[in-house]
Amino acid sequence: MEENTFDPDLIRAIFKLVWEKRSAERERHQLSENEAEAGPSTTKRSRLLTVNGNALKLSCELLRVFVAEAIQRAAAIAEAEGSLKIEATHLERILPQLLLDF
Amino acid sequence: MDDDDEFDWEAAVHEIDVACQATAATVVPTNSYCKQDIFGNVDEEMRKKGKFDAISSAPSTRQTTLDRFMGAPSCNSRKFEEKAEISCGQQRMGGSIGESICQETEKLNEFVKIDAEAAKTWIYPVSVNVPVRDYQLSITRTALFANTLVALPTGLGKTLIAAVVMYNFFRWFPEGKIVFAAPSRPLVLQQIEACHKIVGIPQVWSIDLTGQKSPSRRAEFWKCKRVFFVTPQVLEKDIQSGSCLVKNLVCLVIDEAHRASGNYSYCVAVRELMDAPTQLRILALTATPGSNQKTIQHVIDNLQISTLEYRNESDWDVQPYVHDRKIELIQVSMGDEAIDIDSLLLEVGRPYHAQLCLFGLLPKRDIKTLSPCDFLRSKETFCKKPPASVPLSRHGEFMGYFAALVTLHHLRKLLSSHGIRPAFEMLDEKLKKGWFARMLGRNEVILKAKLIMQKTISHGAPSPKLTKMLEVLTEHFKVKNPKNSRVIIFSNFRGSVRDILDALKHIGESVKATEFIGQSSGKNSKGQSQKIQQAVLEKFRTGGYNVIVATSIAEEGLDIMEVDLVICFDANISPLRMIQRMGRTGRNQEGRVDILFFLSVAFACRSYFSLVLACEGAELRGYKQKQANGKTISKHMIHGGTKSFNFHPSPRMVPHFLKPELQFLEMSIEEFVPCGSKAKDSEPIPVPAYMDKITDAEKDLLAKYFFATQEDAWRPSLIAFPHFQAYPSPANGVLHSSRTQLLIDTMQDLQDLPYSHDRRPSAEDDVVPDPCLRVSKVEPHDNVKEDSERYTDPAEEESNREAEESGRELQVTVKDVQSEDSHKPKTLLHTFLFASEFVSVDSVGNVLVLSLPQVPLDSSSKRMESRNMASLDLSIQERMDCTEIPLQPIENHPLHQRATEETVHEFSVGDLFSEDAKKFDEAKEILHSPVSSRMQNEMDISDQDLIDIYLSPRLTNLIKSGVVPESPINDYGTSKGNRADDLACEHDKKEDINGSSGEMDIPCLNDNGIRTTPLDCNTVAVGACSSPVPVTKELRTPVTKLSDTSSSKDWIPDCGVQPKSVEQPFKFRRLRKLGDCNRKVPTESRNSTGAGRKYVSRRVDHHKSTKLLKGEKKQAKGGAAYIEEEAEVSSDAMASDDEEDVQEDSSFEDSFIDDGLNPTTSNTQAGSTRVDMMAIYRRSLLSQSPFPRPPSFPTNHSPDSVVQSSKMDGSGSSTGTGRDDAPQAGIESTARNNKDTCNGVPTEMLESRTDSRKRKLSLHQAHSLPMLNLDREFSLLSAAAHENSTAHETMEETVDIFEDDDFYEGIDLDALEEEATKLFKKKTECSTEKIVGSSEIKEQNLGIFDAPSFDLGF
Repeated sequence: MEENTFDPDLIRAIFKLVWEKRSAERERHQLSENEAEAGPSTTKRSRLLTVNGNALKLSCELLRVFVAEAIQRAAAIAEAEGSLKIEATHLERILPQLLLDF
Repeated sequence: MDDDDEFDWEAAVHEIDVACQATAATVVPTNSYCKQDIFGNVDEEMRKKGKFDAISSAPSTRQTTLDRFMGAPSCNSRKFEEKAEISCGQQRMGGSIGESICQETEKLNEFVKIDAEAAKTWIYPVSVNVPVRDYQLSITRTALFANTLVALPTGLGKTLIAAVVMYNFFRWFPEGKIVFAAPSRPLVLQQIEACHKIVGIPQVWSIDLTGQKSPSRRAEFWKCKRVFFVTPQVLEKDIQSGSCLVKNLVCLVIDEAHRASGNYSYCVAVRELMDAPTQLRILALTATPGSNQKTIQHVIDNLQISTLEYRNESDWDVQPYVHDRKIELIQVSMGDEAIDIDSLLLEVGRPYHAQLCLFGLLPKRDIKTLSPCDFLRSKETFCKKPPASVPLSRHGEFMGYFAALVTLHHLRKLLSSHGIRPAFEMLDEKLKKGWFARMLGRNEVILKAKLIMQKTISHGAPSPKLTKMLEVLTEHFKVKNPKNSRVIIFSNFRGSVRDILDALKHIGESVKATEFIGQSSGKNSKGQSQKIQQAVLEKFRTGGYNVIVATSIAEEGLDIMEVDLVICFDANISPLRMIQRMGRTGRNQEGRVDILFFLSVAFACRSYFSLVLACEGAELRGYKQKQANGKTISKHMIHGGTKSFNFHPSPRMVPHFLKPELQFLEMSIEEFVPCGSKAKDSEPIPVPAYMDKITDAEKDLLAKYFFATQEDAWRPSLIAFPHFQAYPSPANGVLHSSRTQLLIDTMQDLQDLPYSHDRRPSAEDDVVPDPCLRVSKVEPHDNVKEDSERYTDPAEEESNREAEESGRELQVTVKDVQSEDSHKPKTLLHTFLFASEFVSVDSVGNVLVLSLPQVPLDSSSKRMESRNMASLDLSIQERMDCTEIPLQPIENHPLHQRATEETVHEFSVGDLFSEDAKKFDEAKEILHSPVSSRMQNEMDISDQDLIDIYLSPRLTNLIKSGVVPESPINDYGTSKGNRADDLACEHDKKEDINGSSGEMDIPCLNDNGIRTTPLDCNTVAVGACSSPVPVTKELRTPVTKLSDTSSSKDWIPDCGVQPKSVEQPFKFRRLRKLGDCNRKVPTESRNSTGAGRKYVSRRVDHHKSTKLLKGEKKQAKGGAAYIEEEAEVSSDAMASDDEEDVQEDSSFEDSFIDDGLNPTTSNTQAGSTRVDMMAIYRRSLLSQSPFPRPPSFPTNHSPDSVVQSSKMDGSGSSTGTGRDDAPQAGIESTARNNKDTCNGVPTEMLESRTDSRKRKLSLHQAHSLPMLNLDREFSLLSAAAHENSTAHETMEETVDIFEDDDFYEGIDLDALEEEATKLFKKKTECSTEKIVGSSEIKEQNLGIFDAPSFDLGF
């Protein structure tokens, strides 16, 4: 594990954001499912909003490795193409394999 | 004092006069301005005049008062003076007001400019699905030019009228803002979609503004959008806050306009808008304008309506569109208990009633007949003016009586319309606390009633209405499919909504019911937020629910197509609401409304089905009465209501001189994209803090990938580059997983990659190869240099240098292409990556360029391979040299070495080389068909893409050439002396190229024409000796470019020709050297070449050639004929020579015509068709270049030349096609122009392509024969072909360079032509050679397929 990894706070914030979005989505889903009889604000408490410190650290590292690998691979493609900038297309080229590798 | 006064008097009078004059002056011009004003209109003028009159009259009245003062002997002149001054001031003000108004009109016109062009028409959408309805059309026409109240029964398309009006205003006033107001959020959202579907106002311009968006955001939207769908409250607020740009408003549509009464937001908003100095069109829509004349007049007043468009369901123009809607009254007896309770309750009220009657406070009628209104009115009068007879002390008591009576009445109403339970609940509530409890808490009668209620409820006997309703529902769902049918049950009280829901729970599976209620939360039930309402509606629409039990909230505007039954649980409501309720059904199919009454007579009215659950007498009576009311109202509405209502003037908006004509237009409407998630809209997006911290570039980046609007936000695609997934991507820290390997295997399998298994490397290999390769790369390069130095004479060194130079040039050109490509990353293909790789390598060393791409591609590149690569590099270099000085033996040495090295390759092609020419030919033949098909595919691709793609194949060809040449090179080395052999080898190589390209193509075909470099790389094995070709090509390109650019634009024939002629020998010096060495050049050939040149020049000059043509041939047919011919010819694989000739002629003609633009041309005959021909010529140039068809021209000449030319033609075509097909065909469609039969440009038709393919094949076959038979001749031929190929290549290159985006622009064509001419020259040369050497062969071969041309020759 490297020292120079992502800031855990940042990652936690991102996680939280995603969780909130997800749960909101789920709620909307459920709402339209079993709906109005239950009324609004039925499942507000069922959200996962915390993460264990170690898990967070690990997540940071995983993300770092992932991002680094993505960049390196995309950079290889971009370089081969003679481009000085990694463009979206470069990323797309390596994305499927990258995702499978992780 | 007096003097002073006198002076003041005079001054005052004077001043007044001046002021008056000024006012008059301003008023008059203003009016005249209005008249002259283009954008003014009569109504507006009228209004303004009115205002001006008022203004100008103001001073005059003042003046009279002044006169009066003057006349009156006044001692207090001071006072008067002041007054006079005041009046003066006012007059001035009046003047200034006039001016300001004048300015305002100007301003107005500035704000809302009318698009005079657009205003010539007004558009009415027609589509297959929505036939034009006359009433809608006429109402729309009216509504466009006057403020209109449209009263149209429900479900008849009010929204369409609104949408059309809005759309036309949207067109007419490019800067105008249009507002559509609908009373609730769901309605707003529904209408925005409906309007979009009708007229397709671009969604970028429209926005829905509801209370969910924060005012600040709304203000922004008001500025940047043009069509707003708003709730009236929002409109009101924003107008008041000023965020709504009132001045830009041109059109306001008010839905459910019957709500515009009192101080409803509609009225406020309209009032505000009327106060603003703007003109705007108001269109009010309603199904139910009001229940009586007075309310309708209110609406008309409040909305400044000037026309009423009323249609009744029975009107002739509406009737066909009214869906059968049956209204059925179902009367249900209340049940004994309920009746008992009712009478008990009446009894409770009776003493109070009697008491009040005693004092004359209530009409002396039966208490049953009294309505709550009566009670309330009486109560009010009692409060205001209590009768003297009532002692003050009893006032409170009496008030209590009133309240009790009202409550009791309410209880009875509940009881009658909703059953016992709600009534009981209410009574229970009331009896628990408050004055009612105090007053009646110990009333035995009421307690008794309560007891009965309680008993009945505990019995569990449902209300008879409920029972009936369930019956109706079950019946309904028996008849209709529960999945397609939708039912709305209306009830006025939430309590009964819950009851109904409870009852529905037991009805069974087919009924999926939910409630649909308002937002406010009561004691017993929570309200539904609009979000939930929206969700409910959505599910209702999609079928998640098929029954909704709704309160009045669902009455208006909800447009749910499938609703075919509406049940009104309580009937005693206003007819307006009744109509609205019934309007929910029968919108596009038959439907019925069941009104459930509590009674016993059933009657059907109208033509449609309705169920009303009504309660005893009172309820039914009320219903009937209200229906009758509605009918009287409709009387008022007849004839546009002109007799009954006072209307208001309204602006015409469109100036009178513009008379928009009706235009039907079929709209092409984009898919409606519901505006993003509503949840997101609700919270204003605050500008994140980090935005301050990042740079602009970063912001751009973020915006590009994250904040873009929903549609074009970039989302990474996993399937965009399937060919990249056939090879492991270079991994760094994280190695590929087994799943990745699986993916790669699968992809390879899917793509039919022949070398796939070898290619897959271990991760280690992946990491390693780069440095390896580099090293090897550099080394070989050096080697080559050394070798060349060692073995070459100084002269040869020169050639080497030249080769290097050419290499550099190549780099340059490639770079050019690349840079162009890089500008459009979107069109980037996978191939491009590799191409660019090539290039990058290019920049490193001169010829090494091509080797690099292999590295990443051959992910498996092991050391060995890298070695090979190196050799490849070398070979390429050698190739270069060869091309420059093909006969020099020195090159052969290094090549030889390479070859030995390269034998390590598993590439079978290399081996093939050493084998018979036969094999090659066969292979070639086999491979050709794929090639051509590939060609097709590629042609199908858009040109730009093509160009991008082209690059790589060419390069791959180079690679191939680099890889494969070993064997030929070997040949070189071994058989130095035998030039013929060498040439043959070369030829073989070329054929190999064909083969290779064919192989390449096979996978390509799979890709639907999208070529991928990896594939190409795989086929590297199949290399061929086309390397000379590219090199020369590269060499030449810059030069040609220059010439092209110089001559292309001006397109002066002479200029164009001359540089060419100069260039040609220049460029091909070396090649020619080769050619000279090889062939015994006959004088004839010289002649022919000369002729060819002449021909070229003529072609450029055109008039000469035309003359020739004239002399010997009939004038070719017209342009149209030509095209036809072309098509014919192209479709006919075995085109006869005659036809070709004709074709050629015509093409020549075309070209002449083109030149007709030139002053020098004196072609009169062509001139006739000239104009039309320009385009045709262009096309012909693209689709089929006239130049490569030499034979026709020579035919015009001497017999000798004819023979030559025909041979030329044959040879040219055969050889050209033979080798062309291989790399160039794929590489460049334009290269096709070189060939007689081949049409290179993507624009060409399919037939021609197929034809060309056929021809090629045939030619190839023909070609192959001679090779076997006659080596010598063949070698010559090949040499010729070689030259040809170079020419082709050059052409390609130039075209490549030039054609990018503007593929079809004249420059390219010119360049093409020039190239073609050059090529032609070459061909002629070649042909001459052939003529000498291989005439026999040709006879044989070509005779088979190209018979006609040969006939000509001989």
